[in-house]
Amino acid sequence: ERPWVCERIMAAPPPSAPGEPAPQPPPQPLQYSLLLQYLVGDKRQPRVWDPSTFGGIPCPPKSEEQKMVERVMESCPFKAALACVGGFVLGGAFGIFTAGIDTNAGFDPKDPYRTPTAKEVLKDMGQRGISYAKNFAIVGAMFSCTECVVESYRGKSDWKNSVISGCITGGAIGFRAGLKAGVIGCGGFAAFSAAVDYYLR
Amino acid sequence: MTQACHRKCVPPHYKESELSKGECVCLDRCVAKYLEVHERMGKKLTELSLQDEELLKRMQQGSGTA
Repeated sequence: ERPWVCERIMAAPPPSAPGEPAPQPPPQPLQYSLLLQYLVGDKRQPRVWDPSTFGGIPCPPKSEEQKMVERVMESCPFKAALACVGGFVLGGAFGIFTAGIDTNAGFDPKDPYRTPTAKEVLKDMGQRGISYAKNFAIVGAMFSCTECVVESYRGKSDWKNSVISGCITGGAIGFRAGLKAGVIGCGGFAAFSAAVDYYLR
Repeated sequence: MTQACHRKCVPPHYKESELSKGECVCLDRCVAKYLEVHERMGKKLTELSLQDEELLKRMQQGSGTA
């Protein structure tokens, strides 16, 4: 057990020789520099930061594995990957559904009224599904990634994050078709994500 | 530190119980800055008090010999 700080500082003057009435040294003033090193300097004792000791609600401390898992789940790449997979699934379902409604499979110019075979219908559904799925996955991943990066940069979480990242995503998608399409895409996607955010909050 | 960082980083909109990512990032930065300022102030205070002690010792020695 380390001795208390005060005793160690007060023991600074050397002990007098035994067996003779030692001249009493003048009382040393408390050396604040030594004390400060223990309070705010290099020799600080490590403290256990338990929330119940400084006025918080007592809760069991989180284990290291739990903290690591939470750190991974909140990280930007994980969120982007999750949005990518979700977008892929959703886009696939959407593509298959629209292929059932608006099909142009098996169209023969010589005989426009023949029903397409099952194989052709399935192939058309598969192609549309895959193409929609890829688009949705890319858009979702981009949006989620930009939103996470913007939120990390700003340090706040409010509605502006989704608007800014919607503008960036829409702009990037539309920019491939020219500057004007990029601006329109930015505005449209930003408005869409603002509406979704308003509904969700 | 808890109160200062809570005031700066956690706006009073209590819609969900978990800390969002932006709030976590803000708290990390707040705590890091607070601790660094604490460290530097400690070093400065120690330096100042060392100077004070030197001065005091010199004064005592001066008054002792005189």
